[in-house]
Amino acid sequence: MSSAILAAFGLVFDPYVLTVILLSAIFGLFVGAMPGLTATMATALLVPVTFFMSPVPALGAIVTATAMAIFAGDIPAAMLRMPGTPASAAYTDESYAMSRKGQLELNLGVNLVFSVLGGLIGVLVLILAAPSLAELAINFSSFEYFWLACLGLTCAIFISTGDPVKGFLSLFVGLAIGCIGIDPAAGYPRFTFGNVDLMSGINFIPTMIGVFAVSELMRGVMTVDQAGRPVQEKVGALFRGLGEVTRKYWTNFLRGSAVGTLIGALPGAGADIAAWVSYAMAKRFSKEPEKFGTGHIEGIVESTSANNSAIGGAWIPALVFGIPGDSITAIVIGVLYMKGMNPGPTVFLENPQLIYAVFIIFILANLLMLPLGYAAIRGARHLLAIPKNVLLPIILLFCVVGSFAMTNSPYGIVLMLIFGVVGWLMEENGIPVAPLILGLVLGELLEHSFMTSMIKSDGEFLVFFQRPIAGLLGALTLTTWGLMLWRGLRPARAAI
Amino acid sequence: MRVHDTLLGLFFAALAVAILILTADFPSFPGQKYGPSLFPRILGVGILVCAVVIAWRGWRESRRTGGRRIVAVDAAFADPGKLASFLLVPAGVGFYLLAADRLGFIPTAFALLAGLFLWFRVRPLPALAIAALTTGLMQWFFGTLMRVPLPRGLFMQLIHGG
Repeated sequence: MSSAILAAFGLVFDPYVLTVILLSAIFGLFVGAMPGLTATMATALLVPVTFFMSPVPALGAIVTATAMAIFAGDIPAAMLRMPGTPASAAYTDESYAMSRKGQLELNLGVNLVFSVLGGLIGVLVLILAAPSLAELAINFSSFEYFWLACLGLTCAIFISTGDPVKGFLSLFVGLAIGCIGIDPAAGYPRFTFGNVDLMSGINFIPTMIGVFAVSELMRGVMTVDQAGRPVQEKVGALFRGLGEVTRKYWTNFLRGSAVGTLIGALPGAGADIAAWVSYAMAKRFSKEPEKFGTGHIEGIVESTSANNSAIGGAWIPALVFGIPGDSITAIVIGVLYMKGMNPGPTVFLENPQLIYAVFIIFILANLLMLPLGYAAIRGARHLLAIPKNVLLPIILLFCVVGSFAMTNSPYGIVLMLIFGVVGWLMEENGIPVAPLILGLVLGELLEHSFMTSMIKSDGEFLVFFQRPIAGLLGALTLTTWGLMLWRGLRPARAAI
Repeated sequence: MRVHDTLLGLFFAALAVAILILTADFPSFPGQKYGPSLFPRILGVGILVCAVVIAWRGWRESRRTGGRRIVAVDAAFADPGKLASFLLVPAGVGFYLLAADRLGFIPTAFALLAGLFLWFRVRPLPALAIAALTTGLMQWFFGTLMRVPLPRGLFMQLIHGG
């Protein structure tokens, strides 16, 4: 083990890898701080670039950029009342209210420091939990993986705030899109209509660039001429008053980080939901809930810790089971497959140095956030002055070239265009897009484990429950389904 | 653009039926009970169930509230300028798809960027300069550094003589 850790240090502390980390940190801060560009979009845009790197710098780039982007989203929230990423939306009004009271410095200082600390807690849990879970998971058979995938996908819909029926629809469509191409069990080309490009399947990266970036651009160009003006031009001392906040609200920090890590680890829910839940919890348990909404720091401490801790948490199921904790780790899993490293417990056995390298990068990224985040806050005035009418066309061209690079043919661009429009239409009609992407990523694992289990059990469904952990996971999945059905049917009965 | 839930449901129901019909042609293998059609069929049924529920809910709601527009378009689209901006995103990608192979990456990307910049009212001189700079950076990064075979087209042929 110690030799693997040593090897991991060697992999990370390499001039090339460190340069990649530094550049992706700056990229993440920039994308996160620009309202309308999300952390998921940052990851989607990074993938074509990381495609050509070896696993450690590729993962390092994604880890660093997402951590930075989630923090940087707090800056325009406080200055312009526009969340830089959806993860900051929960406390945008509160932050802005603080800025109007003249507490911009305290607000940003708290956001920076507690983002770093929350992020570190998330990483700590990841480091402690992942290897032991992997030891458990090493004994898993196709039955356990089948239920795990089902449970993961169900959770993704159960937790999300929208309409569960539309969530399931999105998921099923994603899984069905994953069926296009050569089928994994028998090698028969499905839904390809004789098209050679479709035989290779629906390439995941251009699809995701379409859904997460192009559809976002289509929304963004509508408001291209709307720009905010920062409440205050100069930023003073950031860390004044921080000690008092920490003394007063350290329980909020701990609770926010714990809840954030947990929500991150649940499949399908990430930093945005973590922030909403933590903000609501802070208010619920506060001694002075009447102050919330008037520029009160308590809820911000809790939720800014939560959204950064969720990033580390989301990697737990992704690394251990290959089941994404949120849409960012869904992309990570796609990247891992592209690199020929199938995520799951075997990575811990075969390539432990890679896992340790990810841990080290996580810690490094969070520590880097302090100086770089500080610099970003100082330069925020200039950063936020970059006009969107210049930025959006450049991002569009980047999407086009990135999608092309994934297939080395126009097929990638066509996929990107189709799914950009589809993603936009879905969001307009209240159909969430994240389940579609999760379905597309997990489709093969789900089908493979399902078919293997069916063949092993000869179609006997009870066998799916015979192994203890499989039985537990199966029961849990069925209970969740039952609960959702009950929840879905209840208003219908009330209406009649 | 919000489509009425009934119509939305019917659309997805049609998709599900299409999936189910297509799977009928999938081969089964002797001695093997479960072939390549099983999983997509389950998904087809799943889509169908969701679609029917959505359509039914939409229909029930419109009976209760006296109906709603079949397709409701966002108010911002009434502004022709905004509508054009919106359409320019997919149209820009379409332009790239049509032109890149013939013209080559550099002129196509430059035209795409310059066109969009000018439409979004970037002043002409900076627009052209930024378009040229970005195109050059992309060609260098993806074309040279990452060795992505960006389309050469007429442009490169003229420069390199084939």
